[in-house]
Amino acid sequence: MQLSARWVAALCFALVSQSGFAAAATPPPLPPERLTQEVLPARGPHWVYVVDYAFDNEIDSRVYLYDADAHRRLGQIDAGFLPGLALSPDRTVSAVATTYFARGGHGARTDVVEFTDTATLTTTREIVLPPKRLHAVPTPFNVAYSSDGRFLYVSYVTPAASFGVLDPARGTVLGEIDTAGCMLVIPSGPNRVSSLCESGRLLTVTLDAQGHEAARSMSAPFFDADRDPVFVQGIATARGFAFLSFLGQVHEVDLTGAEPVFAPPWSLLGPADHDWRPGGAQPGAIHRALGKLFVPMHRGGEGTHKDGGSELWLYDLASHGRVARWPLAAVGLKPVVAVEVSQDAAPVVFAATEDSDLAIIDAASGRIRHVTKRVCQTPWQLLTP
Amino acid sequence: MHLFDRLFEQSSRSLASRTSRRGLIAMLAQALTGAALLPLLPVDRGSRAHAADAKAGKAGPEDCEYWKYCAIDGFLCACCGGTATSCPPGTGSSPITWVGTCRNPGDGRDYIVSYNDCCGKASCGTCDCNRNEREKPLYRPSRNNDLNWCMANANASYHCTVSVIVGVAEK
Repeated sequence: MQLSARWVAALCFALVSQSGFAAAATPPPLPPERLTQEVLPARGPHWVYVVDYAFDNEIDSRVYLYDADAHRRLGQIDAGFLPGLALSPDRTVSAVATTYFARGGHGARTDVVEFTDTATLTTTREIVLPPKRLHAVPTPFNVAYSSDGRFLYVSYVTPAASFGVLDPARGTVLGEIDTAGCMLVIPSGPNRVSSLCESGRLLTVTLDAQGHEAARSMSAPFFDADRDPVFVQGIATARGFAFLSFLGQVHEVDLTGAEPVFAPPWSLLGPADHDWRPGGAQPGAIHRALGKLFVPMHRGGEGTHKDGGSELWLYDLASHGRVARWPLAAVGLKPVVAVEVSQDAAPVVFAATEDSDLAIIDAASGRIRHVTKRVCQTPWQLLTP
Repeated sequence: MHLFDRLFEQSSRSLASRTSRRGLIAMLAQALTGAALLPLLPVDRGSRAHAADAKAGKAGPEDCEYWKYCAIDGFLCACCGGTATSCPPGTGSSPITWVGTCRNPGDGRDYIVSYNDCCGKASCGTCDCNRNEREKPLYRPSRNNDLNWCMANANASYHCTVSVIVGVAEK
């Protein structure tokens, strides 16, 4: 009772202060502010590049740098029309291969690779390409660096397929290599480029020191494009890439040698999972040190390969066993169309949903740490720096 | 194999074998810009798409469920000043395309449908429609809807997509 009386007294004092004396004691004006230039902090363990294809206005794509610990956007890289994004092996430079039209939506076409300093987000140089660059949805293989950063490869489709070899240090195009209908630039080592072929094979071109073709070879088929095609969004593994198929097969390709080596494919599906499938624009992510694979899965049939996952399934790459299933609707998330995982020791999964939210998920427990609503217009590719 | 299908397949395979980094097809395509359809279309030799349902039967050209849109990915030109088979004013049609095989619920037949992009203006931004029956990845471009099929046009920006019946699919 005594405490309540004190509260009443305090309240009365506050009211009097606000009404009676406020006019007499006007607070001092805010001090003048100084315009400053924000600089990026040191790279955090949970940063991610979010590629916004801006599908409703495709000539204005962007790449956003997002900090999943601070839950905020850190900056932007302009990305033009249907871009590809690659990071240099030392992660100091980002390369955006894109197209601009001289008058916005029309006018003379310029295909170009623009290089941005990842520490400052300033564009430092460019290399103009022949007007042949692949115009397509995001994949990790629209543009890619050699392992030593000496070459940059750019996919061309006119619709004849080829790729350009660039020297990013000198800022020149070294040449162009015909791929006989095979698509994309899958890099391995300092001088090899593989491409996916309709026949289910990999074409591998080996370059000489000048970036010209020295040799080429065609692998045996490792998938059937009619019966069960693989997604082109390969996932980097410790020794190459893993390609998921529409029906849930995992094809791991070892690219450490002169010729690709294909591990026996294994299935994401258990005996009771026959109608579950992977899907989306970026349908898998791998934590390489932990050997864990994250896949957005949905129930569906023919024609659903771009549908987002209603659950995230987690696999152990060594045993091929499913470790966990994380239903997404139960935690308020729409189906996930793009997934990526940080490579640190306390990793988070980045999951972009079909309504363009970005969820940050603890990779060990599946707990939702944060959801940024509508992170951008169409977040179809995620890339950890 | 139906003669019609064989003709298309031979045509497309022949073209594929002749394509080179010199951009032969690009030059050909640009020379033929404006033609709504070319006999360069590969065909579906696989099983049928299944667009036939009650929803598809009632849907019109401005609805994503319209039966002819079973493998489309883009903005419906019918919402952008064009129609299901015509490009909006001031745009140009892509002479190179991808195809789908869609069932018309009105007559129960399967049709080969060519999806031509309309080009030369920024994205229409209205009536986004993405359906993927029998759609294949980039390495099978004739069945892929992820490519910008305006790529070979003089004005290569993408605006919207039409769907044009090429013929009845083989039974």
